[in-house]
Amino acid sequence: MDRDLRRISVRIVQGLIFIYAGFNILMLIYTIYNSMRDRKEFLSETFAFTTRLSFGNYVDLIVKDGYFRFVFNSLLILGGAILLAIILSSTVAYALGHYNFKGKKFWQTYFLVGLMFPIQLGIVPVFLLMKRLNLIDSYLSVILICGASISMSVFLLTNFFAHLPEEIYEAAILDGAGEFRTFVQIMFPLASPVVFSMSILTAVNIWNQFFVPLIFLQSDAKKTLPLLVMKYTRKLLMTIDSAFAVSILTIVPIIIIFTIFSRRILDGIAEGGVKG
Amino acid sequence: MLAKLKKRPYIFFLIPGLIVYTALVVYPIISAMQLSLFRWNGIGEKVFVGFNNYKALFTDDYLMKQFANALINSIKLFLLTTLIQTPLQIIMAYMIYANMKGHRFTHIAIFAPQIISTPIIVFIFRILLDSNVGVVNNLLELAGLGNLARPWLGIPELGVAFMYLMITWGGFGIGMTFFLGAMNMVSKDGLEAAYIECAGFWQRLFLVILPQIKITVINLVLVGYIYSMTMFDFSYILGGNTGGIDGSIDVMALFFYRIAFGDSNPIGGKISENSVGMGTTIACVLFLLIFVIALLQIFLINRKDD
Repeated sequence: MDRDLRRISVRIVQGLIFIYAGFNILMLIYTIYNSMRDRKEFLSETFAFTTRLSFGNYVDLIVKDGYFRFVFNSLLILGGAILLAIILSSTVAYALGHYNFKGKKFWQTYFLVGLMFPIQLGIVPVFLLMKRLNLIDSYLSVILICGASISMSVFLLTNFFAHLPEEIYEAAILDGAGEFRTFVQIMFPLASPVVFSMSILTAVNIWNQFFVPLIFLQSDAKKTLPLLVMKYTRKLLMTIDSAFAVSILTIVPIIIIFTIFSRRILDGIAEGGVKG
Repeated sequence: MLAKLKKRPYIFFLIPGLIVYTALVVYPIISAMQLSLFRWNGIGEKVFVGFNNYKALFTDDYLMKQFANALINSIKLFLLTTLIQTPLQIIMAYMIYANMKGHRFTHIAIFAPQIISTPIIVFIFRILLDSNVGVVNNLLELAGLGNLARPWLGIPELGVAFMYLMITWGGFGIGMTFFLGAMNMVSKDGLEAAYIECAGFWQRLFLVILPQIKITVINLVLVGYIYSMTMFDFSYILGGNTGGIDGSIDVMALFFYRIAFGDSNPIGGKISENSVGMGTTIACVLFLLIFVIALLQIFLINRKDD
């Protein structure tokens, strides 16, 4: 009797999860369908089935609005920021995890401070700083800001380097490799699984970053994808055809990439979270 | 000099990260504290006013009203997250952990919205809830319940609730995945013992797994708190600079943004003569609000170790 109750409760939860997952997929299909419809038709007969589907909205988006310009901007910022974050966090973590020196505990805590204080709060001084450096409306400002949030990655990687067996390092040094070469050719490659899982998290954050580009990128030619999407989705009814198309064009490629690599990505995030 | 550095190779590894991190993460915090003591808009004259900005924030009716309203909305978001989302995330993570049927696919489908950027999430909910072309209202009409149709997103009382729904839909997967990761680390011995003692499916979760992932739970509650206090994009995209009708979906970060960067857009527009001073003051109050809770969390975790 008790057992039946338990089995039923499990079934109910399972059912709800499936409904939720199914809802996500239905919404995707609904959006794809509407992205191929004419705006006037959608507004007058929202729910009607139609066979008059076309890629016109997409063509407009790509040809007239230079969609790929924004993709390029987003990719450039993502690439730059990720590269910067990886270089900075792995070197710092290597110094803090591998070597022993006075004040090490202090620096470890120092690099954790960023976990508590997200970039939003310090944005006014950062803005003034970037203004002085003449970096307002430049990709570099966004890359630097996104690449500087290394607290989490430093923390994960410090743990990793601290637990690497000392013999590996000693063997490399004995073979005549310098400190830097030992790091680049031996120690860093060993850390690549951890670097991968932390890069995934960072990449998702940077790709969807809204606040920093909004403040620092002002000319249209430099704006990122989320800012372009907002332009269409803000005044819903006027630009709903473009809004559908831009949403699908932006979502579908990353969903495909995500699904293909989902196993590695999800496992990477799960591992990263435990240590964090 | 060089020989000395050679003996301390870690300095080379530390320096680049230290410089960038200090300039863009630590310096802004200190600088904000200092700037909050001035009356300044970033261009004109900078006048030292001591703690007057703080006094003004808490006594000026206009500012205080916005501050209180934004803080309450942020706290509402936090409570909704902790009381509803976290338990659901744990249950879902447990179902996936227990290898329910189709768990791979389910995990992917629930996680996928995470990689969708905020403006698109808001858009998807708009086409669900819009008063004219929204799916919900159209379905209600089809079902003959047309009189129940509402301009859902235009109801101030429901603003925070709908915003919370969007945030949850977009951010559910990441927390769930963290819980799953923590569950995978739970030692199998305890579970086997529980199995032998005939502990049921849910009992195993509550009696064996939950106590062992407590630290992850506490950590994620803190992350949720920090997120609620600094969440900006949903509120801005849904409600613009003012945070919706009568500030119904105004939050702390948006209030801060409005004061610091003016009413219309990041540059130009109406910027008050004290934008930097008052902006950093609000940021410092937020620092403090986060810092106090973070200390509490560290205290909680350390006490458990005893």
